Amino acid sequence: MSQHNTNQGSAVRHRHRTEGPQKHIIAFIFSIVLTLIAFATVAAGGVNTSFTIILLVVMAILQVLVQLGYWMHMKDKGHLIPILFLAFGFFVAGATVLTALYLVWW
Amino acid sequence: MAHAHSVKRHTGLMDWLTTVDHKKIGILYLIAGALFFGIGGIEALMIRWQLIKPMNDFVSAQTFNELITMHGTTMIFLGVMPIIFALMNAVIPLQIGARDVAFPFLNSLGFWTFLFGGLLLNISWIMGGAPDAGWTAYVPLSSTMYSESHGVDFYTVGLQIAGLGTLIGGINFLATIITMRAPGMSFMRMPMFTWTAFITSAIILFAFPAVTVGLVLLSFDRILGANFFEVGNGGNPVLWQHIFWIFGHPEVYILILPAFGVISEVIPTFARKRLFGYSSMVFATILIAFLGFMVWAHHMFTTGMGPVANALFSISTMLIAVPTGIKIFNWLFTLWGGQIRFTAANLYASGFIPTFVMGGVTGVMLASAPADYQFHDTYFVVAHFHYVIVGGLVLGLFSGLHYWWPKMFGRVLDEKLGKVGFWFFIIGFHMTFFVQHFLGLLGMQRRIFTYRGDQGFDTMNLISTIGALLMAVGVLVFLLNVIITSTKPANAPNDPWEDGRTLEWSIPSPPPEYNFKQIPLVRGLDAYWKEKMAGHTEMTPAEPVGPIHMPSASILPFVMSVGIFVAGLGFMYHQYVVLGIGLVVTFGCMVIRSLYDDHGWHIDPEETTEKKGVKA
Repeated sequence: MSQHNTNQGSAVRHRHRTEGPQKHIIAFIFSIVLTLIAFATVAAGGVNTSFTIILLVVMAILQVLVQLGYWMHMKDKGHLIPILFLAFGFFVAGATVLTALYLVWW
Repeated sequence: MAHAHSVKRHTGLMDWLTTVDHKKIGILYLIAGALFFGIGGIEALMIRWQLIKPMNDFVSAQTFNELITMHGTTMIFLGVMPIIFALMNAVIPLQIGARDVAFPFLNSLGFWTFLFGGLLLNISWIMGGAPDAGWTAYVPLSSTMYSESHGVDFYTVGLQIAGLGTLIGGINFLATIITMRAPGMSFMRMPMFTWTAFITSAIILFAFPAVTVGLVLLSFDRILGANFFEVGNGGNPVLWQHIFWIFGHPEVYILILPAFGVISEVIPTFARKRLFGYSSMVFATILIAFLGFMVWAHHMFTTGMGPVANALFSISTMLIAVPTGIKIFNWLFTLWGGQIRFTAANLYASGFIPTFVMGGVTGVMLASAPADYQFHDTYFVVAHFHYVIVGGLVLGLFSGLHYWWPKMFGRVLDEKLGKVGFWFFIIGFHMTFFVQHFLGLLGMQRRIFTYRGDQGFDTMNLISTIGALLMAVGVLVFLLNVIITSTKPANAPNDPWEDGRTLEWSIPSPPPEYNFKQIPLVRGLDAYWKEKMAGHTEMTPAEPVGPIHMPSASILPFVMSVGIFVAGLGFMYHQYVVLGIGLVVTFGCMVIRSLYDDHGWHIDPEETTEKKGVKA
């Protein structure tokens, strides 16, 4: 999308550029390691099924946090509004699913 | 940067099809919204004409079902929401001191997808019958078993496409308001209309995905033979009601909050006082949006959710009366002791307050679950939601249109005709809907196509129909006003109401393409008023005069929307080649948009200065 006529927001973008790639490389390796652990646990077989499920969920949550924090820049300053909106989105979606489950099927 | 390179400027029809200027898109939204508002209004008159006397046979039961379905759907999704977007487009960038919205291309895309979704829904009339399952499309009524024609398919696919446009628009305004406010305009210095538009956009962002999912499930059930709501195969029809109202209840706040915003602009201007309790207004708006997401099941008290769920949803619903009450009192205290001028805009705003309070009171009555067992699906409910939507939102929209018309078109609407229209409309409105409370309490069910003569419904239905005709006269007077005004010279001053408080009144009417020659510096709430009080005639600039970067016009949004429209039709009729062609067109446009770098163009400082000289 064309960046037109804004005179705000350039400060945030600027900082991202000067931050350097180290943190992103670490995050990238971390993402891959998390994925590998998940795959390896399933591929190895013989691991207790319920343990595998719990491990996969934990890996998934960590993965989401890495993705949001590093790749979506949620850890950076000036991202309060995206974080607020994301949190409210989780809240609405969660409340909706839980309530609908409870009211419709239980 | 400041090199001038010539840009292809479109003229005539091509200009309107390709425009990415928020002011022109606002006018497009207004025209399209007015068109659908007219269609919905004619449907309303036909409904009322059918009910004018007992055992009437003006339309058949089937046609009546189609009329009520299309009236509700058209009015809400295609009539008033685009007019809200028209005002938001016309006003928000000006109020926050910006030169356009954050994503001008998306703005245009949002409009065209909405328009083609709306057209798809409405061509159902000439393609084998309109949807007939009510605007809520409850299953199993909307399943292929009970609604065999393609009507409900037009509903699911048409609303899906129109909803896409609304979602795009909502996200665009969120981004615009967050990132493009002029220097000095903190969140707590934003005009109230901008605040409500912001919160409305947020509700759109969170509520529309629910209806998107619901419509996907329903269209899969109907078109592809899925079983999401099919009891025989393990589906659940109540699930549709939940999904629909998880969207549907926030939707009514999407509708009413912008009206609150309009009233909060009009009343301070014409009372010559700053808005009473600005921060409590902001807080109340946020609270209404927040609570709005946890009350949806009050539409479903009678589905047998049990006493605990009913009690919880009763309480959360009644809680919304608190922030709403805060707003009502703030408006009254703004008027209190003000130098009130009853212009047409302010008449509509003052008419709004008591009318909306009446709708709010019946809302609290309906929130009480035991009482709701009596009210459910009667005309009492019909009266309630018309009081809040017509008596609230539509009065607010008329107020806003009278108020911002000079800013949009450079012409002040005729005051006398405006007032005549107001009196026709509000008297007609109360005649139409006030008696419907009592019809409901007497037991007249909602959505019945006729009634027998010995139940005591006759007189009140007659009164109601006469009222509807008076409302129609009110709308026609407004239309006449628009036509007469458009023949007059466009000579509205920057600040035609003389007491304008916000930034839009500091620039010409209508504003130049780039809105602000120099982005203004905002020194407080009611930025323009503050400068006036400091003895200035215009805003202090926050930047030197320089070249202004403008977005390029593009036909792609229009073509993309045509593609989606064609794909939707193909999907409905199982014509997968047509579906494919439509999708190829749409995604092809996205590819072109992604690969072709468009840097926009610049307006040179000489040009802006020169224009200003001519104007002065």
